Amino acid sequence: MMRSIFLKTLYDRRAFIIGWFIGMLALAALMTSFFPAFQAEGGIEVLAEGVPPAFEGLIGDLASLKTFDTYIASQLFDIRVPLIGGVMAIILGLALSTKEESDGELRTVLALPISRSSLLFQKFLAMLVIIAIITLGLALGVYAVLPSLSDASIETALMIKLLAMTWLVMVTFGTITYAVGMMSGRKAIANAIAIVAIIGGFLLTTFSSAVEWLQKYEFLSVLHYFPAVEIVTSGVAKKDVAVLILICLLLMIVALVVFRKRDIN
Amino acid sequence: MIIEAKDITKRFGKFIAIEKVSFAVDVGEIVGFVGANGAGKSTTITTLLGFINPSEGGVKLFGEPVTARTAHISHQDIGYAAGDMELPGSLTGAQYFDFVTAQYKTKSKKSEKTDKSDSKARRKELCARFQPQLDKKIKSLSRGNKQKIALIAAFLSSPELIILDEPTSGLDPLMQERFLELIKLEQKAGNTVFMSSHYLTEVADVCSRVILMRAGKIIEDLPALELFERSGKHVRVTTPEVVRPPEEAREVHYEKSDNFQAVQFIWNGTAKDLQHWVSGIDELQDIEISDHNLDAAFKQLYENEEIDEPVV
Repeated sequence: MMRSIFLKTLYDRRAFIIGWFIGMLALAALMTSFFPAFQAEGGIEVLAEGVPPAFEGLIGDLASLKTFDTYIASQLFDIRVPLIGGVMAIILGLALSTKEESDGELRTVLALPISRSSLLFQKFLAMLVIIAIITLGLALGVYAVLPSLSDASIETALMIKLLAMTWLVMVTFGTITYAVGMMSGRKAIANAIAIVAIIGGFLLTTFSSAVEWLQKYEFLSVLHYFPAVEIVTSGVAKKDVAVLILICLLLMIVALVVFRKRDIN
Repeated sequence: MIIEAKDITKRFGKFIAIEKVSFAVDVGEIVGFVGANGAGKSTTITTLLGFINPSEGGVKLFGEPVTARTAHISHQDIGYAAGDMELPGSLTGAQYFDFVTAQYKTKSKKSEKTDKSDSKARRKELCARFQPQLDKKIKSLSRGNKQKIALIAAFLSSPELIILDEPTSGLDPLMQERFLELIKLEQKAGNTVFMSSHYLTEVADVCSRVILMRAGKIIEDLPALELFERSGKHVRVTTPEVVRPPEEAREVHYEKSDNFQAVQFIWNGTAKDLQHWVSGIDELQDIEISDHNLDAAFKQLYENEEIDEPVV
């Protein structure tokens, strides 16, 4: 069973996968079950009028809460999941890169006839699969509760688009952490850059609608490339997908070049 | 030559961990690599394995230059274990052996079946020797049991070259003895072993050659037999009156009691000269001659040298 680094990594992280799968499933189920409360006549419209623009970034566009597809896009996929999932991806990226090295296990593995590039890519592949499994938890959570709600539905194609973009955003956060970890071998460096990416991204995306001078820097945020509500109305922008894939590719290329040459701590 | 290290120097910032280290190991040799903590043994070994790059100089294994990028190619024929090796804690011993076995390529499709049965037999033989706990997670094992797993894994693929970094640390005396027997068997099978240790007596027992390291430099590279000769004899002579030891004697100590005087010293001269000196003693009460402890003999080389090796 344990024939490759890829399979070993999946096996090593099984508790992480199960835990986060259940967590994402519960989060999606909970947010889905709240939909009738938001859909009810009255309260939301009044609330929407009183919300200052600066807070819209935090709680989403309240006007979009009347239909299930825009509700779930704004309340689950727009901020919550990319943030929580981003944190998950960062933890995973750290565990796959610097933890093994600081524990000394990386040397044990590299003493075997395994090339550094193969190790780098097998672990990366395992990260993609782990994030995909955890993203499936979201789908399961939504579809587990959806049949019990009246007047609530979402097209399968749209759900796939939202899930795919969620996966890609999480993969991007994971890749930033993993690639920096593999390049430097230092947990502190990988951690610091990942935290800057996620917190900085959150602040930029959240407050750029209210703070004018932040708007020109919003393109620096990973979250900027996942406008969930816009995906419901206009579909996935190819440019957004391209940017996220490009970030991952560039980081992995640099990680490959550096990791193949550097000293193992 | 199976290992060739030429003028390897490794610096960590301003700290020089090893400096102009050169040696070569021939096929079938069992070489001991001895030095105190911080002498540079582990840095040399990690450079040989390509975990770290030398600042200067180079390493060849099996005649091919070793770099971080290409090290895995030579690892196909190398088994490695270290005393402080971190094994995958989430796996059981049996799972770890499966993982290790799977990484070594079979020579050809034709020989795949033979290789598999050889590998099973080898695993059985090694497990019988070290009696590891195979069904428990490695992280739950004691240090000694983890070390058994690491040693078995190093020998599992029947490698041509075995590199060991303080392999007996954590092993009980019985397992140490079984390990040393295994090294002797490897020697008979024509394999090469490069083994570092704190203990000169341990390596001198199995090694044909000993390389001594101090403060990042090689200070001696000599046959183990010569080391024994050089270490000399421990002589203790008891007499009623004080006698002067021979002029060439070293580490001289006197003992005095109501009934006797004793002088003990280390003798590196010839047996004939010692016999001549003994014949000159008027009233010899007792004489004891034994091999001088190798570790004690070279202790002086390591004294005042507790330099911490940097974490690399």
